[in-house]
Order: sequence, then structure tokens, then C-alpha cells
Amino acid sequence: MDYYFLLFAIMAVGAGIFTITVRDALPSALGLLTVFIALAALYLHLNAPLIAIFQVSIYAGAILVLVVFVIMLLITPDEELESRQKNISYRTLGAILGVYLSVLLVIGIKGIDQIIVQKGLPDGFGHPSLIGTLFFKKYILHFEMASVLLLVALIAAIYLAKKKNI
Amino acid sequence: MAGINEYIILACILFGLGVIGFLTRRNALILFMSVELMLNSINLMLVTFSASRADMGGQVMVLFIFAVAAAEVAVGLAILICLFKHMKSVDINKFDLLKW
Repeated sequence: MDYYFLLFAIMAVGAGIFTITVRDALPSALGLLTVFIALAALYLHLNAPLIAIFQVSIYAGAILVLVVFVIMLLITPDEELESRQKNISYRTLGAILGVYLSVLLVIGIKGIDQIIVQKGLPDGFGHPSLIGTLFFKKYILHFEMASVLLLVALIAAIYLAKKKNI
Repeated sequence: MAGINEYIILACILFGLGVIGFLTRRNALILFMSVELMLNSINLMLVTFSASRADMGGQVMVLFIFAVAAAEVAVGLAILICLFKHMKSVDINKFDLLKW
């Protein structure tokens, strides 16, 4: 059995359960950080070093810091916020739907080995220079669209968060 | 290297956890983090398929998902700040203006 995979998989699942069950938002964000780090370790195992670096720097570094900033801005200390849905039907229905969906996914993907051709990875697979070449040759249009999307999101975020009487 | 099935099952479990968190919690910030969990499970699945098919396109797709996730977080948190200014709360059960 692969102990590297097992270690980080258990870490990711445990931290994921912690993320969705803990009462306050800030410990939840820290659990999410643990999930991100465990997934970065698994990406290294899957021949994707650049993705692992971006996972740590973008997700754990930038996105999570933004989330923690907003938690700091929004949660007032005396606010009463129950940890789960008060309506019991929402709670049970949501849990049943989630379990059902994950079981369905696992059943649907069982036997994926027959579909996918397992072949030896070519030399230098996952090297950042290969990703750069793909980005600026084959996927150049998508790259430009992603940059426009980020610009639009930036403008929208500033517009939404500013004071309304300007 | 663990087989592809183990990675797929791990990604499915993480996606299911994200769905459960999204459907059962009331704090809008935790709903947000559940969405991030789901996006990450999909990233793991893309990288797994990329390695199993020896095709770098999957890893490039993950980078695009990073960009989309960054845009989603920026806009979503701005909307959340707006909602908090109006309602003085992040409890999603209080956002019922469109309900009748």
C-alpha cells in the first residue's frame, strides 16, 4: 500500500470533515488550508509540480487570506450564529443528497481502469516548460479570456464593495 | 504510485463533503469554503486523469480553474460584504427578500 497517498488522503478527508462541521468560520478556514496543503502534496505525487506550487501560493496564499480577511470584517463577536440549519428537514435532506451524490460518483466511475489506457509517462511529463508551451501556443485564446475574466472580476469586486454614494 | 481509482475515490469523497457542507450549513462564509472544497476535488480529478492519460492538457485546465476560482472568490466575497452591509448578518436564512 502506498503510505504517502494514504497519509495525505486521510489528512485531506479529516480536514474536510472538520471544515464543514466546525462551528465558527475561522477554524473552518484553517481546516480548508489543511485540505489545500494535503492536495498540493498529492499533486507532487501525480507528476504535477507546477500545480502543487500554484496550489500553495494561489489557494493557500491568496484566496484563503482573502477569505480570512472577510471573516475578520464580517463576524461580530456577539453574533449568535447556530452551527447548522435550524430546519431539520434541510439538514437531513442535504446530508442524504450529499452522501447519495458521492456514492453515485464512485459507482459511476468504478471500473475506470478499463476505460483509460494506462501508459508509461513520457520523459519530462509535468515539467513547467511544457505547461508554458501549451499555454502560449495551443491555449493562447483561453489564456487571454482568463485574463479578461480576472479584469472583469476585479472591476466588479471594487464596484460592489465600495460605498454607494460616489 | 497509488492506482487511479484511489485518487478518484478521494476526489469523490471531497466533492461529497463539499456538497454536504454547502447544503447543511447556515453561515454564508462556510458555504463559500464548501464551494472551494468542491473546486479542489475537481482539480485533483483533472490532475489524476492528466497523469493517467499522459496528457498535459489536464494540468493547463487546472490553471484555468485557478483563475476562475480567484474571480469567483473576489466577486462572491464582495457580494457577501454588500449583503452584510444591508442585513447585518451572514446567516443565509435571513436572506429571504425574494421568498413568498
